Parts: sequence; C-alpha cells; structure tokens
Amino acid sequence: MKKIRIHGRAEFGGCVEAEALVSPIPLQGFTSVSPMRGYSTERNHPLFKVPYTGKVLVYPSPRGSGGFAAFGVGPMKPAAFIHTKNSPLSVLCAIAAHVPSMTDFEMDPMEFIETGDMVLVNADEGYIEITKKSNEASTSPEENG
Amino acid sequence: MVNLTDDEKRMLQGEDGVIPQVCMQYLVEMCQVAGAEKLVDLDGTGDMHTPGISLSQHYSFTFEDLKALAESGAQFKVPTFANKAPFGELTPVHGWQHCHMRSYGGQYHDDPEFHKKAMHEEYYTLYRKMGMMTTFSCANYLTMSFLPSIGQHCTWFESSQIPYCNATLGARTNIDGSFATCLLGKAPYYGMHITENRYATVLVKTERLIQTDLEWDVFGFAVGEDVGVDVPVLLGTAKPTTTQFQKLNSAIHTGGGVSMYHIPGSTPEAPSLEWALGGKKPIRETIIGDKELKNAYEKLNYHTSDVVDMVYLGCPHLNVVDMMRLARKLEGKKCAVPLWIMTAPWLYETAKNLGYVKVYEEAGAHLMSGTCPAAMGGVPEGVKNLAVDTAKQAYYITGCYPDDDNKLQVCYGSTDDCIDAALSGRWRGEWK
Repeated sequence: MKKIRIHGRAEFGGCVEAEALVSPIPLQGFTSVSPMRGYSTERNHPLFKVPYTGKVLVYPSPRGSGGFAAFGVGPMKPAAFIHTKNSPLSVLCAIAAHVPSMTDFEMDPMEFIETGDMVLVNADEGYIEITKKSNEASTSPEENG
Repeated sequence: MVNLTDDEKRMLQGEDGVIPQVCMQYLVEMCQVAGAEKLVDLDGTGDMHTPGISLSQHYSFTFEDLKALAESGAQFKVPTFANKAPFGELTPVHGWQHCHMRSYGGQYHDDPEFHKKAMHEEYYTLYRKMGMMTTFSCANYLTMSFLPSIGQHCTWFESSQIPYCNATLGARTNIDGSFATCLLGKAPYYGMHITENRYATVLVKTERLIQTDLEWDVFGFAVGEDVGVDVPVLLGTAKPTTTQFQKLNSAIHTGGGVSMYHIPGSTPEAPSLEWALGGKKPIRETIIGDKELKNAYEKLNYHTSDVVDMVYLGCPHLNVVDMMRLARKLEGKKCAVPLWIMTAPWLYETAKNLGYVKVYEEAGAHLMSGTCPAAMGGVPEGVKNLAVDTAKQAYYITGCYPDDDNKLQVCYGSTDDCIDAALSGRWRGEWK
C-alpha cells in the first residue's frame, strides 16, 4: 500500500489516524455549521449534511465569520484538521478543538488526499501520511512502501 | 517558541492573579497555534463578543473571579467596545417587543422576562466598571466615536469589522478580540500586525465600474470567493461610500476570509497600485467580470417563488444616512409584509429624534437594534421567503434551517428591490 508523506506546520499538536473527509471548496462557520449535528449546514455546499465526526477534515481555507471555531466545538468534532491556507479563523478553530491541526505544507495536501483515504496526522512531528484508499499511484514527494 | 517579556512571564506564573494568568495562558496558546513568536502591545482599540467567562473551550474563570477583578479596580488596557447584543440569546436591544419568534434556545424574543435575562446586566455592570463601552453592534465603528488611526494595533472580532479596521481605516487587527486581549492590551504578533503581510498579492480587475450599493455587495462576495484568505488589490471601482464600505467589508468576509484589501486612491495604505503591491508583482491576476458578478448574484438568490412574506434591512447595522433614505422612501406608504430594520443601539435614539421611527411605524415597519435574524435564530414562524439586501444575511440565514434542508427561500437584491417587496409582497429584483 502506497503511503505519501507531506511535511507541514502544526497548529495544535497530537497524533491521530483516521479517514479523510475532503471539502473541495472553503468551509464556513456560524450558521453554516452545526456542531451539535456534526456537519456543514451551508446551502449548496458539497459537504452539506455530510458527517465529519471522527474524520480528518481536509479543506483549502476557511471563510466567513469567527463562528468558524464551531467546527472544533463539542463531542461531534473531527479527529483532526488539515488545511492548505490558514487564517485567524483556523487559529480559533484549533484552539477550540484541541485536536491535531496542521497547515503550511511543503506541497498542497488537497492535491493528494481524497475522501476515504486514511490519513495519519502527526502534528507532534510535523507531517501527515496518506494511505490511498485505492492503489492508484499519485505523484508523491516521498513514498514509503 | 514564544518569547515573553518579564512582565508577561510574571502574569503567566499567576503573580497578577487568576484571570490575568488564564488570559496569558490563552494568548500563549494562540501564539503557538498561529506561529507567532511574541505578543504585541496594543495601542488601538478592542472589539469583543460578550458576555462570558470562557475564552475558549479550555480556558475559563468563574463569575466570582470576574467580580473580584472588577471590584479591585482592574481596567481594560485598550478602549474596549462590546460587539452585537449579548450572547448567546442575541436578542434585540431595541424593538424586541415586535419580534415574535423563537430564539436558538426556543424562547420568544418578545417575552419581557426572556429579554431581561438575555441582556445579562449582571456582567455589563462589571464590564462597564472596567471601562467597556457597550455599543452592542456588528458595525460598532459607526458609534464608537473613537476610531483607531493608521498603523495602530487593535484587537477586533466581528468578521465584517476586520476589513473595516485593516483596509478602510488602515489600523491593524486579526480576528482575536476577546476578554484576554482587551484586558491585557496584548495580542499574538502575526498576520495583519506585520507590514509585509498587508501588501496585496492578488490583482483583481473588473469589466464594469463598481459603483452602486448592490454592485459593491455582489462584487465583495465574488472577490471573497475568488481570493479566499489572500490580500487583493481592487481595480476598476468608483470610490466607495460609507454604506458601500460596510457592504464590501461584510460581503468579502462572507464569500471569503479577506482581512485586508486595497483600493488605490481610496484606502489609506494604497496611494497607488505600486504601494498596494509593496513594489512587487502580484502572484495572481483575476477578473471579476459581468459573468462572475451575475453568478454571485444568482448564488445569493435562493428562491423559486416571487411571493415575499418578510423583508429585512440592516446587515451590517444601518448608518444614519441609510435610515434617512429609508424614511424618505417609506413616508406615506404602507408595507404589505413585515419589514424589519436594524441599526446600532446608539443610533436608535438618533433615528427616533430625527422622526424616522415614527415614519417607519406609520408605514408598518419596525426599527430594532443590536442583532439580526441569523443571530437571533432565524425568522418568525410561517415566513417562507425572506427578502434582504446584503450578501452576508442572504447567505447565512438559510443555515438556521438545517433540519428543513435549507428550505427558507431568500430573495436578494438592492435596497430599492427590498422596499418594493415590502410594499407589494412581490419580488421584482433582477441583475442588471
């Protein structure tokens, strides 16, 4: 099984491996997320009502209100966060969640991770490791296996 | 690694008391998450959501601690303003008697007992003693009467106010206004506090001159969706009015996460395009042309029916000129459906003194202050199609109805389209 490793910066530490849920477009908080239900409530969003609980939530960047932090609130929160670009919104989310959160990668993780892939988020050592759900090879910066 | 001064280390060790210690712990963690190497001493103003004893899920103190702190004579280190009506009920400060609708907690906003409790006066007595000015508005820059100047380091929180502080005023803030930053007068030094990060990296061009209120609102949303969290420089626009800055700032931080932008010749850090870009070439150029504007307009509209049964104006809260224009247009008319108008609490009395409240009431409309439908929990029962004139409210309001698959319909257009809908009960707005 091919594994792809990408180095990045830890926002919040910890190490966890879980299935990825990828949002192809930015995520938005405030009324556009329901932390009680554990899914996005944003109209016309590809992740509308798709549960993120226990998943590695992967997204390109945050947008909207400071209520973005709600993605990191409560028992329904994701297992970890991975995002290409950060902002004070992702900072607030990481502070609320206290689960592994990473950004500022050497290569854009959005180009390598698909929903359903297993992703090890090792924020303590500053890398993620992707195990593709299929054996299709991706162009990878570092392949172990 | 966060470098702290001796004073900051002392606070972290608890030598200044429990609340400064918790606040410092929270700020150190924020530095670590944001990659900030130090705290910056603030010389601007603070804007925070209130009330509360939690800084986050993991850092809090007790109400008794807060009371003891206030009674000891402690003061917020920077001029500090309360943003929006008190959380979590976010009930209107004025005009709540007209709001027969459920809050997020299920109680009715027009219940006097609920209103009294929802104003959380027990906290504000203490906060005011510590120097807080309870403006209670998402557009509290309208009533602060004490704005930060160019280059001053601030700590604000409301998303629509972040670009107002950075781009419109030229002061500097991230989204971090909190009890901790305002009390200690310190914030993590990263992002918009650093000159280098404030230069534009994306050059945005237009095909039409952006000049009406609606064009600014749609344009802001479309730019936000295009540039995400980057800093754009906007070319091909007229000079925005105060209302248009309000619309641009709220829309650009709804469609995207834009904390800073430049309009050469209009915003203080962009006397020219070259200044806006910091003497460098943009990393990317993009066009928000007629096609992109139309797409954004259509995205913000979310309706199959043209039968409107409620109209909301006041996102962000209306300034006095907006209220004057609205009064002149409603004078002698009668609304066919409920029309809610929202302003900042400190402008409510002004509107009353100028005779606008009377004009609105005679037309069947209501002036309120301090909040908005999305913050209050949605719209009154039975409302199926809401008309609004701002991208932010148009986009967030449907999120209040997740169990109904976002079935609330939204008609989005100009203020005149909304007034027409209030008077006729029909939506006739279209993109031109």
